[in-house]
Order: sequence, then structure tokens, then C-alpha cells
Amino acid sequence: MDMIAPLAKTGMISSSLNLWLAVPIGFVFGFALFHAGFTDSRRIAWAFYFKDVGVPVVMFSAIATGMLGLWGLSLIGFLDISMVYMLPTFLLPMAVGGLIFGLGMVIGGYCPGTAAASIATGKIDAVVFIVGFLVGSLVFGDFFPVWGDFYNSNYMGAYRLDQWLGIGLGTTVLLVVLIAVGGTIFMRFVQNKVWPSTETDPQEKQVVKLQGALIAVAVTIGFVFAFFPSERFIDDHVETPYYIVPKTTVMPGNSE
Amino acid sequence: MKFGTRWPPVPAGILIGISMLLAFVVAGRGIGASGAMTRFVAWVQHGLFPAATEQSAYFGKYFADGAHPLNDYVVFLLVGLLIGSFVAAWLSGELRVEVLRGPRSSIAYRLVLALAGGVLAGFAARLARGCTSGQGLVGGAELSVGAWVFLMCIFVGGWMAAWFVRKQWI
Repeated sequence: MDMIAPLAKTGMISSSLNLWLAVPIGFVFGFALFHAGFTDSRRIAWAFYFKDVGVPVVMFSAIATGMLGLWGLSLIGFLDISMVYMLPTFLLPMAVGGLIFGLGMVIGGYCPGTAAASIATGKIDAVVFIVGFLVGSLVFGDFFPVWGDFYNSNYMGAYRLDQWLGIGLGTTVLLVVLIAVGGTIFMRFVQNKVWPSTETDPQEKQVVKLQGALIAVAVTIGFVFAFFPSERFIDDHVETPYYIVPKTTVMPGNSE
Repeated sequence: MKFGTRWPPVPAGILIGISMLLAFVVAGRGIGASGAMTRFVAWVQHGLFPAATEQSAYFGKYFADGAHPLNDYVVFLLVGLLIGSFVAAWLSGELRVEVLRGPRSSIAYRLVLALAGGVLAGFAARLARGCTSGQGLVGGAELSVGAWVFLMCIFVGGWMAAWFVRKQWI
């Protein structure tokens, strides 16, 4: 059966139209980042003090939405998942990268997407953060031979949590949703303990109801997924070793 | 119910998730921000040192076969992100030139740390092959083991340093 999506790869739309459609998609992303409060460096940094746990909750919600949509559209046969670029795992470089990135986030108050969005709202500290970010990227690229071996080490392919855990993909999706919900409740609890709120929000009850309903929908979809075997979501026999960036020579079109 | 400027976290996160899902469905790839910035520095350096940049092990691939580094999906995405955030702030009356910082922080202290944090995050995003969005959110949705390790390590790293820079924020 021919699937419709991804539109750019099934030939439904041209590659130049695909490029231009990235602008409205980015628009939605930037619009949402602002309303999440992510253009404010204080809100991002406060996550690390449990003063405002909005950041992890937004991230959990975004991941759950993307995850349920991606695997759900594959399940119903709308999206050909073999044409979706799956991120590869390089375990240790990503762990070390995450640690340094976390340091950068609490010291600098942003990550690149939120800083760019914040520049668009006029924030000077975001401009300075991005200047630093560009310098850091440049240093990484110009001295690439120094850490190129480490960068390419621990390659595990597009290695997924369900493969690592040895359980079904649908069950893993359900598990991630439940961890997101549990994490959200736990972090709200810690925030209320450490930084008890002094103001009362008149909308509080409505907001709790709305968010509770959205979470219930996500958990329900997760339970439905858990009934399907992994093969219904993805056919695992394609290995793509093209993520390795050679340390010294670049052979365009050869390595990719 | 009116949300106002700052939406509750779950609906805000869902809209970010929808933008990611749109990219999956339309382009067969995720969203991201750091890739465009890497291409930007490669482009600037290429203007100053064209030969060296084209031969660079890391940046060279952006110039393969006469390609322009800024003619790429992630750059169009970033342009849209800038417009989207600008429009959202404008509609909310929140366009203001200012330096955001905690009540005990001076402007100079904040800006020095913003620069230092940016350098660290810029280096780390390249090492991890993506940032919070391109690696963390997208990889998280794809159930990538590396992305989940990356996300957890971000919070570990952040908590480790939080105490030392607390005067900047709280």
C-alpha cells in the first residue's frame, strides 16, 4: 500500500515546496515557544531550582504529542516510517554532550531554539548567548580532528528504547507517556514544597481540568498502542550507517 | 477559558509537539535550531577563509558540490521560528528590549554568564549531534536511546551547576 506521508519523500510535494513549508512549521514552533514562556531565560533556568517546572512539563508534553502522532500515523498506514530520518545513537558523546549542554543551559539561561525565539522578542541576553553559541559551534568544527574519534564513538545505529528494553514498541510508548505524567506530577509536588506559591490563580481549577483531560487522552492512546505488536509500527531490518562523519577526509556523496 | 500570554505547560507543549509532527509528516524529519546556527558560522567563516572552510573535516560537507550552506531545511525552519516568536510577542504586547535576569544579578554579570553558557551549549550541541529540540524532543519522540540519555544528562548537568550560579537567577 502506498502511503501519503512524508509528503516530500513520497513525491506528493516538490523539494522546493518542502523547503518553503518549513517556514510555517517553524512559525508554529516559535509561536509555541513564546507562549510556553521559553523566551524568558529566567523561566528556563528556574527549572533547575524547581522554582518553575514548566520547562520539563512542556518538554514531556511535546515529546508525548510528537511520539503518539509519529507512531500513530505509522500504525494507521498514513506515514511511511522507513522514510523518516531516525536519529542515531552515539551513547557516550551524547551523554557528555548532554552534561555540558546542561551546564550551558543553567549558566546561559537558554538553549539555541529558545534563545533565537527570545532574540525575536528583543532580549539582549539572548543575543549574547547566541554569540557564545556560534563561537562554541565554530570551535567544535574547526578543531574537529581533536575530538572527531570521540564524536564518532559508541555508535549504536538508530537504537530505540523498546529494542534496549526488549519489550514491544507500543508498550514502550505507553511507558513513556506514564513516565511523563508521573514526572509532571512529581515535579509539581517538589515545586510546591520548595517554593510554595503565594498568589492564587483564579483559573487554577479550569487549567487543572483541561490539562487532566489532555493527559487522559494521551494515556488512553498509549494503552491502545500497547495492544499492537512492534511490527505494526516499524519494520526493523534496515541499517543506515551513514551518520558517521569521517575525521580527516570528506567524500561528498560517498559518506552520505 | 482565556490563556493570555503564558499558556499552561501542557497545551504549550502540545503545540510544540504539533510543529514537530508537521515536520515528520511533510518533510520526514524533525525540527531543530542548532543546525542552522552551525551552517551560519560555516557560511561566515567561508566568507573569510573559503579554501580552509571547504577542506574542513566538519564544515566541508556544507559546501560539497558547490552547495550553499544556508540553502537548507533547518535554515528555513529557523526563519519561521523567528517570525513566529516575533508575532506572538507582538500580539501579546511583549516586545521589549531588555536583559532578563534574577533580582540579585547585575546586567554585566548576566551577560558574561550568557556568553559563557552559550559557548558551552554551542560546543555540546555539536558533540551531541543536536540541541534540546533537534536531538532531545525529536529523538525523544522517536524513542532514541541516545536522545533520552542526552535529555537526562542535560538535567544532571544543569543541577550540578545550579548552585554556583544561583545569584544570577534567584
